[in-house]
Amino acid sequence: MKTQWRLLVVDDEEIMRESLAAWLREDGYIVDTASGGREAVELTRQCEYAIHFVDLKMPGGMDGIETMIEIRRLRPEACLIIITAYATVDTAITAIKEGAQEYIVKPCNPEEISMLVSRIIKVKNLQRENTILRKKLTRQYRFQDIISKNAKMHAILELAQEVASLRSTVLIQGESGTGKELVARAIHNCGERANKPFVAMSCAALAETLLESELFGYEKGAFTGAAAQKRGKFEMADGGTIFLDEIGDISAKLQVDLLRVLQDRSFYRLGGTEEVRVDCRVVAATHVDLRQAAADGRFREDLFYRLNVIEIRIPPLRERTDDIPLLAQYFVERFSHELNKDISGLSDSALKMLMDHPWPGNVRELENAVERAMVTCRNHELTEVDFAFLIRPGVRQTVTFNLQEMEKATIIAAIEKAGGNIKETASMLGIDRSTLYEKIKKYEIPR
Amino acid sequence: MKYLYVGATEEADPEATRTIQECLETTFRMPVRSLKLPSVDFTYDPQRKQYASAAVLELVARECPPDAIKVIGVTSRDLFIPVLTFVFGLAQLSGRAGVVSIARLRQEFYGLPPNPEVLLSRARKEALHEAGHTFGLVHCANAACAMSLSTGIQQIDRKGAAFCPVCTARLPKDRLI
Repeated sequence: MKTQWRLLVVDDEEIMRESLAAWLREDGYIVDTASGGREAVELTRQCEYAIHFVDLKMPGGMDGIETMIEIRRLRPEACLIIITAYATVDTAITAIKEGAQEYIVKPCNPEEISMLVSRIIKVKNLQRENTILRKKLTRQYRFQDIISKNAKMHAILELAQEVASLRSTVLIQGESGTGKELVARAIHNCGERANKPFVAMSCAALAETLLESELFGYEKGAFTGAAAQKRGKFEMADGGTIFLDEIGDISAKLQVDLLRVLQDRSFYRLGGTEEVRVDCRVVAATHVDLRQAAADGRFREDLFYRLNVIEIRIPPLRERTDDIPLLAQYFVERFSHELNKDISGLSDSALKMLMDHPWPGNVRELENAVERAMVTCRNHELTEVDFAFLIRPGVRQTVTFNLQEMEKATIIAAIEKAGGNIKETASMLGIDRSTLYEKIKKYEIPR
Repeated sequence: MKYLYVGATEEADPEATRTIQECLETTFRMPVRSLKLPSVDFTYDPQRKQYASAAVLELVARECPPDAIKVIGVTSRDLFIPVLTFVFGLAQLSGRAGVVSIARLRQEFYGLPPNPEVLLSRARKEALHEAGHTFGLVHCANAACAMSLSTGIQQIDRKGAAFCPVCTARLPKDRLI
């Protein structure tokens, strides 16, 4: 992944810090500068830097070593390089003792500093890749991993964080693709049960009898084919959390069984006579309005109240459009890594298109759309052309009334539909080929 | 009409300056004009016996004519930035000015007999490199590309006097080669 790393140069002499910053920017890094220790600490509080270059001798309160100690206190994993013109063995030992990765004496050879930076960045890239892969492998998401700057979402996440340490049942409601399981996993991972199992079960995926045996397990000989005793998901989640997705879809019989588990914390395996006691937290989720379903008699009211001890409603993506740029950029970075593509972001027009899209499939749909666009993208930035597949005939995608924009979007969609065949596109649009070429040129539509 | 400018200081090698001018004209397909730059002697650091590249770059930017899209300064002085022992050149990333030093491009600097051909080849590569920075290009991982980082003369000799396809694609559309 081509992550654009951010570096910090701390030096009281403007010419020193600005020239080093300019030199590093030529390498593609984002470089911030600070004229003193306090400013550096403040910037470190706000941003995460891959490398801090800190001048050893700085007047006005904090010298390089003090600055370094303060930065390490804020960010223990920070990578620090001490720069000095006055090299002594004592200062070098102090700097390394206090956690500086490197100690360089200025002026130094360009090759030396270039190799040093690329070595550190290589390690940083590997560390980041490792973190992503480990998270992917264990799916140990926490609240910090939920990407949002939306005030409503922040309030929801705060509530979820508060209830993480409790044992109370949580009901997460939200449309498909809003991230209900992600919130459930974050609740589990941030609570006291984090080291115990998190068992997820989709109640919509299985037939009633199968779901029953999956949830509660069965005894040997309980039914044809039950050759041995099997533990159910509730038993597997003992001490941890069971996540029951699409709870609104379970049958009336299972609703009764589930109510009993929630009340008594015990159940019987299928065909069993021995009561099994479990201590697991239940987090349920549904895309249907369970309160309404209970009012309509489609869902047991007593079970609804048992489940709805703490209610978390995740808004659909169309109600938090301010998260779309943030999420889209996150997916671009993730897929750049996964697909090994050098794509750094989205054009303004592509972003506008995403903001205008209704996203019935929510974040999952956005994730899939970005992945699809990145597979076919040949540039270093996703443009509206890469998202042409979002335009479906007969569905009004945008609220624009600008004729030229509408014409451009229609041409893009037609080219997409015709698989890039200009003759077919022109015929579809009812114009001749030369007119189409003129319009492609006019609107700068890449082909 | 906007122009690319190549600004030479008084002591700059005229042959190298002319070559740089031709190279930029061919590469960027736009008219290149020449510009006479004032002396950079005021940037001399007696302790280091070198010239401060940031101050030279500032001077080049200051001398940038109104009809200039970019200006690349050429000097024969040995340039440095405080933290490094030397630089072959410096540029404002996505800015208007860049500067190339010929000093360390000469074979004589390394105790070898003069070789004008080698000097001109290196000058072309470094001018392209600094001009590329002014057009927003950063260092390229392709060692054959003019935008690859050169921390030594061997690296300059290894790379070509052209942008790789990736860097070419990154150039603004109206500056395609």
